[in-house]
Amino acid sequence: MDYGFLENVAQENGLAGVSPYVKLAAGLGALLLVLLSPTWVIPLVIALSLGIAVLLLARIDPHLYAHLLAAPVLFAVLSVAAVVLVTGGGEVYWAWQPWPGFALSVTSESVSRGLLVFSRVLGGMSALFFIALTTPMTELFVVMRRCRVPMPLLNLTMFVYRSIFILSDQVAQVHAAQRMRLAYSGPREAVASFGNLCGASFIASWECGEDLIRAMDARCYDGRFAMPGESAPVQARHLAGAAMYLLAVSALLVAMVYTAPGGWPV
Amino acid sequence: MSRIILESRDVRYRYPGGVDAIRGISFHVRRGEKVALVGPNGAGKSTLLLMFNGMLRPDSGTLLFDNEPLRYDTPSLRELRRRVGFVFQNPDRQIIAPTVYQDVAFGPVNLGYPEEKVREAVGNALRNVGLEGFERRPPHRLSAGEKKRVAIAGVLAMDPDLLVLDEPTSSLDPAGSEDTMELLEELHQAGKTIILSTHDVELAYPWADRAILMRQGEILQEDVPEMAFGDPDLVRRARLSVPVLLELYLELARRGLPLPGKRPKTSLEMIHLIEQAFSRGGRPGPCGTIHVCDVDRTGPDSLARWLASRDGLWIGAMGTRAKQRAAEGRITLDFSYGVIDKCLLRALGGESSLILTAGGMVQRVEIRVKSFAGEWGTEIPVEVVREQ
Repeated sequence: MDYGFLENVAQENGLAGVSPYVKLAAGLGALLLVLLSPTWVIPLVIALSLGIAVLLLARIDPHLYAHLLAAPVLFAVLSVAAVVLVTGGGEVYWAWQPWPGFALSVTSESVSRGLLVFSRVLGGMSALFFIALTTPMTELFVVMRRCRVPMPLLNLTMFVYRSIFILSDQVAQVHAAQRMRLAYSGPREAVASFGNLCGASFIASWECGEDLIRAMDARCYDGRFAMPGESAPVQARHLAGAAMYLLAVSALLVAMVYTAPGGWPV
Repeated sequence: MSRIILESRDVRYRYPGGVDAIRGISFHVRRGEKVALVGPNGAGKSTLLLMFNGMLRPDSGTLLFDNEPLRYDTPSLRELRRRVGFVFQNPDRQIIAPTVYQDVAFGPVNLGYPEEKVREAVGNALRNVGLEGFERRPPHRLSAGEKKRVAIAGVLAMDPDLLVLDEPTSSLDPAGSEDTMELLEELHQAGKTIILSTHDVELAYPWADRAILMRQGEILQEDVPEMAFGDPDLVRRARLSVPVLLELYLELARRGLPLPGKRPKTSLEMIHLIEQAFSRGGRPGPCGTIHVCDVDRTGPDSLARWLASRDGLWIGAMGTRAKQRAAEGRITLDFSYGVIDKCLLRALGGESSLILTAGGMVQRVEIRVKSFAGEWGTEIPVEVVREQ
């Protein structure tokens, strides 16, 4: 299994030539609108539009995208079911009291609240996946430097990023070697095998750290770290596209809020 | 004879665990030499290499770089490590940064170069190893051969005088190994002194100017490869094997079929010896022509037109830039390593070939072909392909 698959997908996505600032602005702006929206329609519009952008503009494999969304959607469905059954208010459609002091009901307000939670989860995850699938970490480092993230923290982040892939390879190798010799065949063996995997990975990471220091010494390390080159420049048409998208969704939000029959909040 | 760049005088080293890794080693390397340290696992090759840039300090004995004993204070070590570029066996353990550009720039940035100079050094190093356009790639997305090239570019960016490589072809596939050795040949042509460690005798034998056979922290033999690998008893004691060509040469002599001349290092030299020994009545016909094309001076369209007008040419590319151009122009290469020798072999068989190359390598091809033809007492035409 390729443990860095999200990052690998991001490195080759169809929006790689778009400035990370524009992609971050679009993703974070959409996330903000999802959180601000009092109606479930806006997050759903954002989930749909960003989904289309991810599939058509970034050319991400639809199966991969569906696979990624499946986990949060499942989690959202379970949470929404609880929210709908436990909360109340408004017209009661169905009610059941299994024992005194505890009642389950489906009401008009609990359904709206459930819909809002569900669409916010979907919209929020879509915005996060939009960023994750279109903006690789190497581009985020450039943004972090521009945002004046302290250099020691940024250097450490870059070391960690580089090490993750080396260590994940090693963990995968040890795991495969264990499975080839029938590890994880029962609960007791699984615990023992997992312990061995952790131990082997710890030793591997320790050795990796020592090698890293040696490699840095051999190349005259003096506390400095080169920064990534410049990211793709902000192009007017990309910026205009992102701005128009956010403005259109914001306008829709405002229109819905002010035309809602019950007034603010919906 | 060129100046000595590195010298070891009775160097000894014992690991903290009490194992004697290096037991009194003395040798020297001259500027512009290609030296192979050859020995089995545990012979002390890597330990010795780590002393060349001050990563390990000998318990006794002296190491000299440029005729000056090594000093182990921080400023001296920085200068030494700038001048002695060390390429580790496993590139994953050497590549530090999250992108190719950052990793290659690591050394120059820590040497305090201004940004413009860092960019220039990185650009040159990546061009030298044929990885232009890889600047923003993360290392985990590269092949093993590309990672090795990034590691080499990382030390080239500091412009070292001496390149030290620990097992440069381990974990590479045959094509990756050939590419790496071709790159080392290019760097050597550009004036770098190179020391590498290996237990691959087939790799060391044709490549090295001098081979140093090691076993259990000692030097068993130090000589030109034809002699160093020519003593089967010594080679066996070093837990190595005699290179196939040399074994064939020695075996023929043992069976009463001695070949004249010096021991062969390449197939070309072997064929030469066999023809000298057994041919009757000279060469059957004229030699084929070796065409040489400088890809920097010939446009892709012009080269395509030239190629379209000729059939049945063997095509080889020397150097990373030429190989890139061949890939861009969808030119299928017959040879990518030992190109001149292979084209000479074809020329002797009456077949013509084209060598794609760049920079000052055209002249090198001409000189090599002329000297070879002179040795063989034959005429091999060389034609430079001009822009059409």
